[in-house]
Amino acid sequence: MTILVGYLPTPEGEAAVEAGLREGALRGERVIIVNSPRRGAPVDQRRVDDAAGAALLDRARAAGVDAELRRPLHDDDLYETFEALIEETGAGLIVIGLRHRSLVGKFVLGSQAQRILMEAAVPVLTVKA
Amino acid sequence: MSVSDASDPASQADRLQAELDETRPPHAGPISQLAAALVALAVGVAGAAGSYALGLGELTQPGPGLWPFAISVVIVVLSVTLAVTGRSLEDAERFSRSSLLTAGGLVTLVLLAVLLPLIGFEIPSLLLMFVWLRWLGKESWRSSIVVSVCTVAAFYLLFVVLLQIPLPRLI
Amino acid sequence: MDLTPILNGFSVVLEPANLLYCLVGVLIGMLIGVLPGLGPGATIAILLPITYGIEPVSAIIMLAGIFYGAQYGGTITSVLLRLPGEASSVVTVFDGFALAKQGRAGTALGIAAVGSFVGGTVSIVGLSLVAPIVAGFALDFGPPEYAALGILGVLLISSVGNGNKLKAVVAACVGLLLATVGRDTFTGAERFTFGSLNLAEGLDFIPIAMGLFGLSEILYNLEERHNKVASPAKIGNVWPSRKELGEAKGAIGRGSLIGFVLGVLPGGGATLSSLAAYAFEKRRAKQPERFGRGAVEGVAAPETANNAAATSSFIPLLTLGIPANATMALIFGALLIQGIQPGPQLVTQHPDVFWGVINSMYIGNILLLVMSIPMVGVFVKILRVRAAILAPITVLITLLGAYTVRNQVYDVFLVIGFGLLGYLMKKFGFEPGPLLLAFVLGTMIESSARQALLIFGGDPTGFLTRPISGTIFALVALVAVLPLIRTAWRRKAIRKAPAEEKTS
Repeated sequence: MTILVGYLPTPEGEAAVEAGLREGALRGERVIIVNSPRRGAPVDQRRVDDAAGAALLDRARAAGVDAELRRPLHDDDLYETFEALIEETGAGLIVIGLRHRSLVGKFVLGSQAQRILMEAAVPVLTVKA
Repeated sequence: MSVSDASDPASQADRLQAELDETRPPHAGPISQLAAALVALAVGVAGAAGSYALGLGELTQPGPGLWPFAISVVIVVLSVTLAVTGRSLEDAERFSRSSLLTAGGLVTLVLLAVLLPLIGFEIPSLLLMFVWLRWLGKESWRSSIVVSVCTVAAFYLLFVVLLQIPLPRLI
Repeated sequence: MDLTPILNGFSVVLEPANLLYCLVGVLIGMLIGVLPGLGPGATIAILLPITYGIEPVSAIIMLAGIFYGAQYGGTITSVLLRLPGEASSVVTVFDGFALAKQGRAGTALGIAAVGSFVGGTVSIVGLSLVAPIVAGFALDFGPPEYAALGILGVLLISSVGNGNKLKAVVAACVGLLLATVGRDTFTGAERFTFGSLNLAEGLDFIPIAMGLFGLSEILYNLEERHNKVASPAKIGNVWPSRKELGEAKGAIGRGSLIGFVLGVLPGGGATLSSLAAYAFEKRRAKQPERFGRGAVEGVAAPETANNAAATSSFIPLLTLGIPANATMALIFGALLIQGIQPGPQLVTQHPDVFWGVINSMYIGNILLLVMSIPMVGVFVKILRVRAAILAPITVLITLLGAYTVRNQVYDVFLVIGFGLLGYLMKKFGFEPGPLLLAFVLGTMIESSARQALLIFGGDPTGFLTRPISGTIFALVALVAVLPLIRTAWRRKAIRKAPAEEKTS
């Protein structure tokens, strides 16, 4: 059973990778680091470049985990990306980072994390930065 | 003569162009090419007929129709040539499902133009923004509403309050 | 040479208000020019209404700013995203993007800005020297020469575009036909007006340009698939180091010359010159294999040349009244709207305007250099905004902008109509550029041709027997026949090639 780790270059993303790798080492399972930029803009600051991606994989190797980096695009709904990956890889766990949002912030920007928590068919492990 | 030297800047540029074109819908076939040539032909024929009716006059005393008639004849000749020789061209694009987006977008534009003098620019603009964001751009409901309201508010501030341009408006 | 008009021109341009217009022009031009899919043509078209309300010299100064800003905006996307804003910055992609991948995007952008500045300035100096001479020569031109020049201009634009030549000429003819709509100035007859009062005044340039170049581009881009998202590039230090400037020095010098000379030629001067300058640098380099892998000269040469060419293409516009490319056609239209008729009389009759235009280019160039280098980081942020959000905002700017020009909804409908026409033309492989250019020149060609016929007493051979118009018509014939010969030649070469392969 593979582990999917949602990653963005933010403290929450780092925390998620940290926890995901620990979990991967513990269970002896493969980890897929999912860095999914939003489709539509020419540039997304949340997409990691090749160098940063390689650094992430190095970290996984140091932790003794077999890891892979995927950078699929998502539209409005990030959960669909995870759903497709679960179907493809038969993953059994999602690890994501959570950030604190005020009530207004939640209303204006929405929360992809919330969608994942509510819709996911597999267990979700959330970590705070 | 080296037709395709890989390191030649010109062919390098062509390859880049071809790569950029990959984000576009696929080529259209000979029927589209023929149709385009026939439309051009129709324009030429209509132009020729219209300008003939205006009166060609003499070369010493050119009538109002002489010049448009000459151009229309050129259009007719060229579009016939195009219909005959240009069917194997690959520069036309197929209409795809995303062309429906363009059609939908056009409808909102026409709607804006119709409603503008009737009820001012605010509501039609809001509508246009929202339709483009939500259905053409597949943004979420929430961001569609937020962005369209903010944009129209910014336009109001810029056009009406700051530049004082006489746009027809509701408020 | 009398320098007073030049200096007077400077005093006009350097007025604080005009400097501000130029600055705003550069900023807005860069802002919109940086959006993928919107090249300088689209940018100028969309922004035409802002220049409408202000007085002529300020309007031209602002246009010059928009023009330079939009061009540099295209360079930014070439370097960072491998997305050239227009054909003339395609070559920049090769080494510019390679530099960006090495984390030296800043170097590429800085060198491009310096090169553009030098190329532009060299070209302006050349323009200041050459233009009055050409204009003086052209003062002898009569109606037959103008008719001939106009036809040559239209034909050249159609034949140098990258699409099918036949289609381009058809588009140009449709443009000529559209120019005849309205009241005939000679006989007073109403042509193709279908009884409409709006059409009786003829079709207006601004809505046509906005529709064909601005709106059609947005509609066309709606069908683009967005399957690529890039990580933000590290721009690094934008000010080029002394060593890099040293490496680029020769390329910038040669690029300026190549650009200036080729830019005067009607047609794709900027595109052709950027390619020529790049190829030239590559050929004379000691290690040509560095090109395409991040050679500083590979950015400097084409960027210098395309800006020099873009500037020197003002020569045929200002001295003969013949726009050399589609972008020039837009500027030509904008000048006409301001009541300025570019042509040989401009320098003698309106020296303030003539030198105002030229000097505004100096200022535009300097402001571009001063603004672009520190501001690149800001403009790059726009690339993070999704196309889905930018598209409706640009559409609203276009439509409401079109309305504000004359406060008429009719104009908005025209923009939509020509937007649809431009979209369909692009879908079927017709370029809108020749149509717009021919539309702009149409009235001039027709009236000169008819005046010429009156002069000749109805004998059309008069066009060929006058020395200058005869020469121009010979050129017209050459331009018309050349592509036919070339395709025949190519067919022969292709037929020959497989045979040769077998024998070798």
